[in-house]
Amino acid sequence: MSKTNNLAAADVAEPMNAMAVPDRQSPQGQSPDGQSGNGQSAAERALAELIVAALQLEVPADAIVPDAPLFGKGLGLDSIDALEMALAISRTYGFELRSDDERNHQIFASLRSLAAHIEANRTR
Amino acid sequence: MRWDAPAIPLVERPPDAVLFRRPSGPVTAAAFLADAHALAARLVPARHVLNLCHDRYAFAVAFAAALLRGQVSLLASDRAGPGGAGLYPETAYPDTAAVIDAEAEAPRGLASVRVAPTGREAGGEAGRPAAAGPTPLLRSDQPAAIVFTSGSTGVPVAHRKSWGAIATRSMAAGACFGFAQANPASIVGTVPPQHMYGLETTVLLPWHAAVSSWCGPAFFPADVQAALDAVPAPRVLVTTPLQMAALLQAGVGGRHDVISATAPLDAALAAAAEAAWGGAVCEIFGATEAGSIAHRRTLADAAWRPYPGLSVTASDGGASVAAPHAASVDLADLIEPAPDGGFRLLGRRADIIKRGGRRASLEGLNRILAAVEGVADGAFVVPEDLDRRSTARLTAVVVAPGRSAAAILAELRGRIDPVFLPRRVVHVEALPRNTLGKLPRAALLALLDAAG
Repeated sequence: MSKTNNLAAADVAEPMNAMAVPDRQSPQGQSPDGQSGNGQSAAERALAELIVAALQLEVPADAIVPDAPLFGKGLGLDSIDALEMALAISRTYGFELRSDDERNHQIFASLRSLAAHIEANRTR
Repeated sequence: MRWDAPAIPLVERPPDAVLFRRPSGPVTAAAFLADAHALAARLVPARHVLNLCHDRYAFAVAFAAALLRGQVSLLASDRAGPGGAGLYPETAYPDTAAVIDAEAEAPRGLASVRVAPTGREAGGEAGRPAAAGPTPLLRSDQPAAIVFTSGSTGVPVAHRKSWGAIATRSMAAGACFGFAQANPASIVGTVPPQHMYGLETTVLLPWHAAVSSWCGPAFFPADVQAALDAVPAPRVLVTTPLQMAALLQAGVGGRHDVISATAPLDAALAAAAEAAWGGAVCEIFGATEAGSIAHRRTLADAAWRPYPGLSVTASDGGASVAAPHAASVDLADLIEPAPDGGFRLLGRRADIIKRGGRRASLEGLNRILAAVEGVADGAFVVPEDLDRRSTARLTAVVVAPGRSAAAILAELRGRIDPVFLPRRVVHVEALPRNTLGKLPRAALLALLDAAG
């Protein structure tokens, strides 16, 4: 199994790493003038909003840095979150994530890579 | 070691019985033993073997190989820091080598052996058939494994398991769940092998009971559906309440029984699963210290039935379980005896919290938080449904004027189990401590509400 086994932990397993806490004083990626300077594409923004809603994150969707890691030290998601994300992605985009995809590590690396995978596979 | 300790066979299944099912095909008892012997021959001769294999089959082969060599497997879940740091208290186990599989990285500073691709040590899918020699017998008091849980101080706590303790339990599970030689069941497990529940139910069970265990992907709902479709009936899904809820939401179909553990299963969820999948939904109650302790069919049994040979007793302010081949163990749960020799669960000791199959002492977590530099006072707020709702997380409330939430979180990382890391760190001017210095939960919640 594979690179995805970090994901395969499920809820008795260890999360892929840790959960981050949004720092309210300085949301990630926010530029000094308070504007979102993250350069999210429209697809990335839509996915960010889906993730924030599905996982009930405290961080604003536009504060998710497209290239920052979703799991571990970036956004700090864990394997329970991965499962929730899979459900939300399947509901919204009409395709199922699988963990035998050899590129899973890349796919889940960041908002940008996950959005690209979704764009390539979505059925709606 | 006692010279008269009874021996228990490593595997007690017919040579052609299927023990594991890989996506590439079934693995018989004879082939599994051949793989285990082949790997045992090239394990690094260290006292302890850190088994980091993700692949369930590679994990099983490595675990059996270590037993054959008289080496003790160290089992720590996958929460390593850089280079494998923090998995286990390294200084306490200097004579350790690692076993890894195809995708795992070797931890820094340890000699390691990589299991052959797909775990087929003895020559691959078309490998030579194993010699039909006698099944290896292992003394029941042979040290088999040390399982680590996160301790209340941030240092992992070791739980020692003898071969007898883990083997008798998986043999008992076979009887409890009525697995029949005439009609072997196919287990599809979503739980990792390094966790006690996953170890007993998805790795060891096939060694003695008439079941096979799926060793392919089984994480996302689509994986689980494919696995259930790939194995022959009768099928048993071995999972957790959170994962079960996700599978039902995703519309995973098929006919199978369910075994659930790690958190109490809601009756409504059990009913939905029985309706959707047409099988019995059973639960195992267990603890890392003691392994599986009792079982019940959620919708039919109010009381839990202890595994054969185990006795569970209520004691002052807690409960304990006594087992053959092991010392009596205190539990984090509160019980009351039921008429038929069973017991009811009344809840956990107030200080104990659980998430993702991991357990922690709230008091211990609070101590760790308060010890973070710049934190004058602090406490975790725990949602009531932490072990039942996938989006539930701890919140840390801190008095720490000079430190950002991110800085505090960075310090907590590596000191506490990641499943208990807070999703929010909320700064306040003071914690609502009463005159005794205690923090009433209601006051904390009110404070959190006010903080938004």
